[in-house]
Amino acid sequence: METEQLEIRCDDCGATLTMPAHRFAAVCPFCASPSVVDRPAGESSARREPPDFILGFVIDRAEAERRVKAWIGRSRFFAPSALKQAKVHSVEGIYLPVWLYGCIAHSQYEARIGEDYTTTESYTTTDSKGRTVHRTRTVTKTEWRELSGTHASYVLDVLVTASKGLDNAELETIEPFDLRAMRRYDPAIVSGWAAEEATLSRDEGHELARSEALEFIEDRIEDFLPGDSSSLQHFDSRLSSEDTDLVLLPIWVFAARYGPNAESLRILINGQTGEVQGKVPRSIVKIVAGSLLGLLAVALIFLLGLFALGVIGSFL
Amino acid sequence: MTQRAVCSRCESPLEAGDLRCAICGRAAEEHARSVARASIQVLRCESCGAAVSYDAKVGAPNCSFCDSVMRLEELVDPVEQTEGYAPFRVTRDEARAALAAWLKRQGFFRPADLAQRARLESIKAIYWVAWVCDARAYVTWTADSNEGAWRSAWAPHSGAVQLAFDDVLVSASRGLREEEVRALAPYVDLKAVAAEPSVLSDGTPVALETFDVQRSGARRRIVSAIHRSAAHVVERDHVPGTRFREVHTSALLESLETRRLALPAWVFAYRYEDRLYRAVVSGGDARGITGKLPFSLARLFLVIGAVILAGLAALTLLPILLRFFLG
Repeated sequence: METEQLEIRCDDCGATLTMPAHRFAAVCPFCASPSVVDRPAGESSARREPPDFILGFVIDRAEAERRVKAWIGRSRFFAPSALKQAKVHSVEGIYLPVWLYGCIAHSQYEARIGEDYTTTESYTTTDSKGRTVHRTRTVTKTEWRELSGTHASYVLDVLVTASKGLDNAELETIEPFDLRAMRRYDPAIVSGWAAEEATLSRDEGHELARSEALEFIEDRIEDFLPGDSSSLQHFDSRLSSEDTDLVLLPIWVFAARYGPNAESLRILINGQTGEVQGKVPRSIVKIVAGSLLGLLAVALIFLLGLFALGVIGSFL
Repeated sequence: MTQRAVCSRCESPLEAGDLRCAICGRAAEEHARSVARASIQVLRCESCGAAVSYDAKVGAPNCSFCDSVMRLEELVDPVEQTEGYAPFRVTRDEARAALAAWLKRQGFFRPADLAQRARLESIKAIYWVAWVCDARAYVTWTADSNEGAWRSAWAPHSGAVQLAFDDVLVSASRGLREEEVRALAPYVDLKAVAAEPSVLSDGTPVALETFDVQRSGARRRIVSAIHRSAAHVVERDHVPGTRFREVHTSALLESLETRRLALPAWVFAYRYEDRLYRAVVSGGDARGITGKLPFSLARLFLVIGAVILAGLAALTLLPILLRFFLG
């Protein structure tokens, strides 16, 4: 009774996706690599855990295509011409698995706090008549004092990738997602759409999220310090009551590949906010041609200059 | 009272339909989920039996044959509802008397004939709305204070303290101003909260203000109010020294419990020399009274004049006195 699902795995980028059978693609929708292996969803889907939450798509296909086209239109001069002519109808809606992490953080910190004070100091200088004179002036100085203490806070809504196909840095480019629109996971929402499996384990996600949480805590403690200036020397956080929930996020992916050995191009669209991000490969041909043109122009100007000098010289 | 679901991390009560705890973000437990709605597991349209797929435009699975839309469990964000009413204990006449006495009591800079000439334009009985919260908070703080200062006027301090908040009142009222709420808050009586609004014996109709914020917005305001109260307590009781600056707090809120209440008040509009002023008397305790007052410019000038005269007198008398004492 369920729509038939197929599972495909990309040998190139490592993504594992479940797709509706009628949408089966011969290339990986993630990186456009042709090295995909398909197998019926079955024994592997039985042992994996279901996602906890899901954010539904807000941007539909037509809007996603429009945004990708606009983005490509704006892309740099050095982008390969093939990109500008690329047909955008291959944009694919994918539910991307991410780990949503939260915890209680108790931290111990040691910091140096700078407190400013003003003082007068005497100095020697020469006046307008060249005589040496002693004067005083007011200067602001900073005394540094040690401060240690504790900082406690909740860490909420840390999102890290659960997909080997898309690294965390790339995910960050299309964040933020508004998690208030989150729903309890329900298979009805992914029906008819491709959903990627979590290929990074909960433990791996945990590690990634922890380091992101620590960065967040460090920023918070830095803001927390008093004084006119301050520097955080050291902090040590105990993270407790940690949670890692699996969430599916809506993204539109436009993946293209030029030639079998070319680097794959990927444009991501936040399926909730419509934010478009991507790395455009630079065409070597265009860069070389551009540089040659530049050199030629410089040489021409130089020759023109020489010629002009010669003309002027002949008059003198 | 039924057993309420409580967040397993911060012990704040969860409400029906909460997917996650509003305070610490932890996902709600399974038993709390079931309160909301049975989820639909069958990917078949309930109306016509065709296979369905999720539609981004509709934001839900949508059957392309008969266009019916499936309902999903999602984050519910309903508009807040009043849970209880504090009773009116002050009658209309008592409120009027309180106002008259209050007008008489006002200071020197108010017009002398204020109590006689203030003309009452209207008296209204209203229920205004507020959140009343209890919470525990583990508060860590840092601050600069004059205590222990060296060459600079400031020295850094830090600390941690466990605080308990009872009956913190956070206004949800659009009708009352923040300073009016502050003046009335100490006189709010929460002991006799009833399920129904009071009916006044003299038949005065009571206007009911309603909550007009959604749950998520309400929680943001409540949490920031508790954080502000925590910062205030830290400044008052915990930062050493007599002066301070740069007070920073970071708090772990726990067991945040919120009641959505309607609180009684008498609102007066009175006119003095063609200008309208408003005064509010708490409906629970007539000692709670606040309002805008006319200011007597005549009296201000009188004082300024007197000060100048006194100064001049001192200047003229000084040489005489000096001669008297020294000469």
